[in-house]
Amino acid sequence: MSRTARLGAFVIVTLAILAAGVFIIGSKQYLFTPTYRLKAQFATVVGLDRGAEVRIGGVHTGTVREIDLPSKPNDKITVLMDLQQSTHGIVKQDSIASIETEGLLGNEYVAISFGTAQALNVKDNDTIGSEPPLVIADLMKKADGILDTSQQALTNVTVVTANLSSISGKINQGQGTIGALVNDKKVYTQLDETTAGLRDTVNHAQAGVTAFQENMEAMKSNFLVRGFYKKRGYENSADLEKNEIPQLPETAPLKTFTFDSKQLFDKQDNAKPKNQKSLRAAGQFLTDTEFGVAVIVVSTGATGDTQKDLVLTQARAMVVRDYLVGNFSFDDLQLKTLGRGKGTSDTPDSGWGTVAIIVYPADTEAHTQTSAANPK
Amino acid sequence: MSHNASIPHRLIGQDAPPAPSLVRATFTVLWTPINGFLEWFGELGLFSWQVLRAAVRRPFEGQELLRQFDEIGSKSLPLVALAGAAIGFVLSLESRSSLVHFGAQSMLPAALVYSIIHETGPIVTGLVVSGRVGAGIGAELGSMKVTEQIDAIEASGVNPYKFLAFTRILACILVLPLLTMAADFCGVLFGWIAETAAAPVSFQRFVSQGFAGSSFKDFLAPTFRTLVFGLIIGMIGCFQGMRTRGGTAGVGLSATSSVVLSSLFVILADVILVKIILVFFS
Repeated sequence: MSRTARLGAFVIVTLAILAAGVFIIGSKQYLFTPTYRLKAQFATVVGLDRGAEVRIGGVHTGTVREIDLPSKPNDKITVLMDLQQSTHGIVKQDSIASIETEGLLGNEYVAISFGTAQALNVKDNDTIGSEPPLVIADLMKKADGILDTSQQALTNVTVVTANLSSISGKINQGQGTIGALVNDKKVYTQLDETTAGLRDTVNHAQAGVTAFQENMEAMKSNFLVRGFYKKRGYENSADLEKNEIPQLPETAPLKTFTFDSKQLFDKQDNAKPKNQKSLRAAGQFLTDTEFGVAVIVVSTGATGDTQKDLVLTQARAMVVRDYLVGNFSFDDLQLKTLGRGKGTSDTPDSGWGTVAIIVYPADTEAHTQTSAANPK
Repeated sequence: MSHNASIPHRLIGQDAPPAPSLVRATFTVLWTPINGFLEWFGELGLFSWQVLRAAVRRPFEGQELLRQFDEIGSKSLPLVALAGAAIGFVLSLESRSSLVHFGAQSMLPAALVYSIIHETGPIVTGLVVSGRVGAGIGAELGSMKVTEQIDAIEASGVNPYKFLAFTRILACILVLPLLTMAADFCGVLFGWIAETAAAPVSFQRFVSQGFAGSSFKDFLAPTFRTLVFGLIIGMIGCFQGMRTRGGTAGVGLSATSSVVLSSLFVILADVILVKIILVFFS
């Protein structure tokens, strides 16, 4: 072999190796086959590199050409991929790109799903939809949280189990009520009988109460009885003491309105309102003035039954309050009532008793507790 | 003399003791190698400058360049191919036994191709060529120097820096990447042979797996950094040869020193080049 031939062989062989290397790597990167370009956008690409594989149905059919960071913080990272022309029939507009990892710690690659047959074909430089990639670190965090919670739950379960075990032990040994119930047949039979009887009783009682309630409701609106409530001036006795305070505040009053009950009520012994418009001055004052608390103090004349008069005064106070609250706008929680009951004979009135609306300045607070020193 | 009269006589003559010979000796011992080192580098710089200056002047010695191509390239090919093959075979066997521990033997092609192309192929080629060619150039030019052939060439009007040195250096530079590719190829081929003996796999699949995820920067940058190895080998071989002194013993010394120095500088240059490639190509 001549020197020149040897030299030629050397150069050709080594350059052939160079060409082979270039073509092997080039074909891995689809540099020498016809391709088209697709884009997909991701919030994170979890370490995907330029030159990474693109797989369609698990088959290596393309390569990641570029990964562009966005210029604005709200945008996403754009991944540019070159895919073999032959995949044009499979990849459609509704194909989804996702970033996946080979095994647990392998290389990242982009997986593109098959499109549906009806969807439109993709064009060069189209953007297809994407799925956020699974980040192992996030998974770890979640798993950690779950483990913590389940550990606590297990601790609780252990405690509960211990309690249960103790209880069931006692029951089994016949200790305690349930133990007796479980282990002593006699107790159970008696209890069973008693319970049955009790249930019957309760059922009857319930039926009775329901019927009674219905009757009462019916009666209130019945024209024969309606007169009673109407004459009395109020329907529900349970509301009488709802806004009542036990005693007057000790502060000097801002203003006091006094009315003769005869002007306001229908009869001497009822709370049916009459001519309520005379309360207007008081109502207007309450609306216009900043006040701490206002109390409607009612007393009757010196005649009549003490107990009945007490109820009557409470009822009259409530009726007056209802009128004021219903017709004037102020904080109704500040308007309290006080039924004084039977008045003294020296009250300067017609003998029907008086209604006084006493208004206290802004910083006064009403006593809601009954004071032993000053009973009502 | 009158002002010396007050000085006691016994002190005269003991004045001005001789320079401390210990300090001077130590200084000389320390300085000589440093001085030699600096001189060597200075001469290398001058030599490079002369070669460079000669290189850009006509006429170009094409025939001599081809002869050196053959001498350095073609004749080194069998040696380099064999070294590459042996390294590939051994790497395959060794990495297989360690990868099996992790159940990662499927990574073997990639690991083998990566290590051969990135580091093993270039450095083995550089060392083998510096052994064969560095010694050859050093001895050849050294004997030409001591037999005054170089002076004869110069006297006949030919620039020895161009005719002898530049052709060899350029041949080294151009040939080394080609030899590296041959070494890479043989390494991968014999790596596959070793692998397929243990677990049969087709060469196509082996290469496909081996090059998975590799790009041109993995292939071209490491291969073409051997251009620098070629420069070092040619330059040091020629320099050591052309500064030979003192007859046949000097020739032997030149051959030895050109091998030692070129191998050393190839390895040192590799450190820097790998760092540069990592910075600029990844």
